[in-house]
Amino acid sequence: MADDEAQTAAHEAPTTALPGAGVNESGAILSLRGVHKSFGKLRVLAGVDLEVQRGTVTCVIGPSGSGKSTLLRCINLLAPPEQGSIMLEGKELAQNVKGDDLDYVRQRVGIVFQQFNLFPHMSAIDNVSLAQRKVLGRSESEAKEKAESLLLRVGLGDKLDTYPDRLSGGQQQRVAIARALAMEPHVMLFDEVTSALDPELVKEVLDVMRELAAEGMTMVVVTHEMHFAKDVADRVAFMDGGVIVEYGPPAEVLGNPREERTKKFLGLVLEH
Amino acid sequence: MDELLNEYFNFEIMREAFPDVIRGFWFTIKLSVLAGILSLIWGLILAVLRQTPGKLGAIIRWPTIAYIDIMRGLPQLIIILLVFGFFGELADSGILPIEVAIPRWFGQPDPFWYGTLAITLCYGAYMAEVYRAGIEAVPPGQTEAARSLGMSHGQSMRYVIVPQALRKVIPPLLNDFIALMKDTSLVAFIGLQEVVQVGRDVQQTDFNSSALMLGAILYLIVTIPLARLLDYLIARQQRRESRGGGDDDNAGADPSMSSAGGVGLHGG
Repeated sequence: MADDEAQTAAHEAPTTALPGAGVNESGAILSLRGVHKSFGKLRVLAGVDLEVQRGTVTCVIGPSGSGKSTLLRCINLLAPPEQGSIMLEGKELAQNVKGDDLDYVRQRVGIVFQQFNLFPHMSAIDNVSLAQRKVLGRSESEAKEKAESLLLRVGLGDKLDTYPDRLSGGQQQRVAIARALAMEPHVMLFDEVTSALDPELVKEVLDVMRELAAEGMTMVVVTHEMHFAKDVADRVAFMDGGVIVEYGPPAEVLGNPREERTKKFLGLVLEH
Repeated sequence: MDELLNEYFNFEIMREAFPDVIRGFWFTIKLSVLAGILSLIWGLILAVLRQTPGKLGAIIRWPTIAYIDIMRGLPQLIIILLVFGFFGELADSGILPIEVAIPRWFGQPDPFWYGTLAITLCYGAYMAEVYRAGIEAVPPGQTEAARSLGMSHGQSMRYVIVPQALRKVIPPLLNDFIALMKDTSLVAFIGLQEVVQVGRDVQQTDFNSSALMLGAILYLIVTIPLARLLDYLIARQQRRESRGGGDDDNAGADPSMSSAGGVGLHGG
């Protein structure tokens, strides 16, 4: 069966040269092999291989519709892949997804969305403490204390009791980052988190992400911010047509791309 | 002209019938409030059951959908009469203890309780559809955010989706409540002396509609302010949404827009 083959292939992963292999052979926290995902007849991911080392930042760039966001949704099983394997801290996830696997992934992987998706009926501090209480079973005071320190850390110590509709986009996105961090994830996924922001608000969000990266958080960042990718990423993956076309250190992929498609894309993005 | 006026506004008859009409209207109010509250609860339960996810969830989902379709597809009067017949049969055959088959709880007559049940069965289904529209109008990103934080389907419904849906559905639920209130008059068919029945009794003995007219006025005293309140709530919601509160600007999916147009849409 195809499933079995994929499973076997996943276990043999270290012997094959993968994108990402070589940064630190033993430190792969996340490893994707042959990940496929379709929505109806539309094939969005057509076999993605990717390895993410612990404590590194991987930026995923590429044109709209190339499957970048879907890749993140596959990783945290919001959209489980149909084919291929996803290993997270040594556990295979993509096969026969069960409730336990969902818990396993979502305790370890946090995600921040383009549209923030804050809970509009709750203040900032309640946004950050809800899942701590309901999922991790923390007491209200414990959860609020943690939420307060996280909001302080993202520079929103004065907005604890403010509701999302009274916050700017940049502030909302920082609350969303704090909300994800409150679950103490091992990996953070960022899905074009600055794309919906006014230009002057982008920096405050990127600054928070830079700090996180500096503290050693493992991050997979789908982004159009090429400067961020250049400065912060340890690895850059260029996606097009549902596959990773080019992969390597930012200096190579962004500074001296080999693939025609990468060159063309960067030409369009960096032109202005 | 005087005869017409006399037919509807004979103050002598109104004064005479007043105590009975008030007593009847008090039944209408009690029945409306009780059945209204029970329908709100039953409707929410149905709406949540209808959202049960997964393949196994179909075992719950399909019967719920079937129930809602059947209840929405039948006239309220038929449901009242069927419930009445059902309990009559149960009482005769002794399957249920007589205190349950012919309930006289809290000093209310048995048609009151049959009516409460029948209206709840029916309006629970209507309200389930309103809740569903509200649940579906919550942006899918909310579910994704809740699930990605590790919340279960039930937790994300309870703490994230339903609280937001409730705000969106208050106007259409109020609309359903107005319709429910008018439909309580159908319980007269199984012998409840509510306001319309009182008016009819007078009409049949005195050949005069003034008592009915009095009942109509009492109804309007309650329903017109409710309709005004409804309009106010819808206008407020529209203002709030056009101001652009975040990312949920799907005005097209707003349930208050779709069903608030016709007060009394479900009226029997």
